[in-house]
Amino acid sequence: MIEIVNVSKWYGNFQVLKDCTTSVAKGEVVVICGPSGSGKSTLIKCVNALEEFQQGSITVDGTSVGDPRTDLPELRARVGMVFQNFELFPHLSILDNLTIAQEKVLGRKRDAAVKKAEQLLERVGLSAHAKKYPLQLSGGQQQRVAIARALAMDPIAMLFDEPTSALDPEMVSEVLDVMVTLAREGMTMMCVTHEMGFARQVASRVIFIDRGEIVDDRPPEQFFGNERSPRAEQFLSKILHH
Amino acid sequence: MQVWSWSGFFDYLTNPYIMEGALTTLWLTAVSIVGGLILGFILALMRLSPRRLVSAPAGAYVWLFRGTPLLVQLIVIYTGLPQLGIRLSVVESALIGLTLNEAAYLAEIVRSGILAVPQGQVRASRALGMREAQIMRYIVMPQALRIIIPPLGNSVNGLLKTTSVTSVISMEELLRRTQVLIQEKFMVLELFAVAAIYYLLITTLWDLVQRRIEARFGRAYQQNGAGAESDQR
Ligand SMILES: Nc1ncnc2c1ncn2[C@@H]1O[C@H](COP(=O)(O)OP(=O)(O)OP(=O)(O)O)[C@@H](O)[C@H]1O
Ligand SMILES: [Mg+2]
Repeated sequence: MIEIVNVSKWYGNFQVLKDCTTSVAKGEVVVICGPSGSGKSTLIKCVNALEEFQQGSITVDGTSVGDPRTDLPELRARVGMVFQNFELFPHLSILDNLTIAQEKVLGRKRDAAVKKAEQLLERVGLSAHAKKYPLQLSGGQQQRVAIARALAMDPIAMLFDEPTSALDPEMVSEVLDVMVTLAREGMTMMCVTHEMGFARQVASRVIFIDRGEIVDDRPPEQFFGNERSPRAEQFLSKILHH
Repeated sequence: MQVWSWSGFFDYLTNPYIMEGALTTLWLTAVSIVGGLILGFILALMRLSPRRLVSAPAGAYVWLFRGTPLLVQLIVIYTGLPQLGIRLSVVESALIGLTLNEAAYLAEIVRSGILAVPQGQVRASRALGMREAQIMRYIVMPQALRIIIPPLGNSVNGLLKTTSVTSVISMEELLRRTQVLIQEKFMVLELFAVAAIYYLLITTLWDLVQRRIEARFGRAYQQNGAGAESDQR
């Protein structure tokens, strides 16, 4: 589904991604972790072309992301993304946050878009809030709306960039629950997260990135067992202290 | 010299000739603000373009029209352009002068409004597959609009009074008509008082309108849930 082959990226002279290669098969859930500034967000944003890369290739569902002939908006419409800071549209009601791209990008009729939106709000447990505006919801609720907004496009894969790290601790689980359900239903997912419980529970593979390099890329049983790299070991010992 | 005449003052307060002048001031303002906003929006988009060939002319325009007095611009349009064979009526000159001048100021307001919309909003829109024009129209502009409404309201207030400058090319707005009557009747204080009252009346009404517009656009941003309730009515 997602093939990343020898991808390198530079900001000026600074190399953010170093020869990264990995892949996510259909239905797989891949968790990406690593120290701050290691390039996790950059890698995941390269997948839906929110960032450019200079070397290597990325293919999503057969479409080459780096190819200048690729219609990027069309590609992005097929891949959902959830951000650390939710990025809901504050001027639109919750319902309209879920319908706008369905109508403007997919060309769905208003009725169909609303119906889809209502189903998804129901699913993330927020039906009662359809008429509210994003800033009237808690962080956890906003992030669930953001997930629903991405799902409304019927994506073939979902990208998550630290979806729970801007949340108060008591709201983390309501968002993770939605993600776990999604993973169990077979959604193809790439998740940057430090929620190791989530990784243990649903990940097909765990990728550890350090200074732009993919250092580990293995199943969770190995990663959380004893087969991780020393760098990952060091990293894990730090985050598991919290 | 005569002393203040109350009867004169009240007569002119309801004088149709003055009232019509006040109406002219109103529509001059309305047309120039709408024209200025459209042109200003185009200029703002041009200035935000990464291409110098696009942004530079817009920058030059803003520089020119903000850097010279409106009075001079009006005189050039009305009495200078005929030298180049372009002959415009008083009304045309006034409208064009006010619009071109206002556009330069509004371009800066619109530009800063657009820049104030967080980049994350654009990223989120792109991630949903929206195209740049759609992002501008459905995501960035509505949010920028809320940001620019207060300064825009100030501009309208300013323009209501600035229209009086067009009296120098004999545009028959409120000030010009007041002056005409003064020259006939010599009731200087009474007539200026009447003009001042009309200006105050208009600007005060505008303040009320502006506050309602601000409240309307601020609805989504109230965290207490009031916005959601008023939406269900
Ligand atoms: N626009 C940019 N210009 C220059 N350097 C950048 C830019 N964006 C990111 N970087 C740098 O690239 C590196 C990787 O950034 P990235 O955001 O991918 O890290 P990350 O692993 O997601 O970190 P975090 O855990 O803090 O989110 C960082 O060192 C960052 O400073
Ligand atoms: Mg990051």
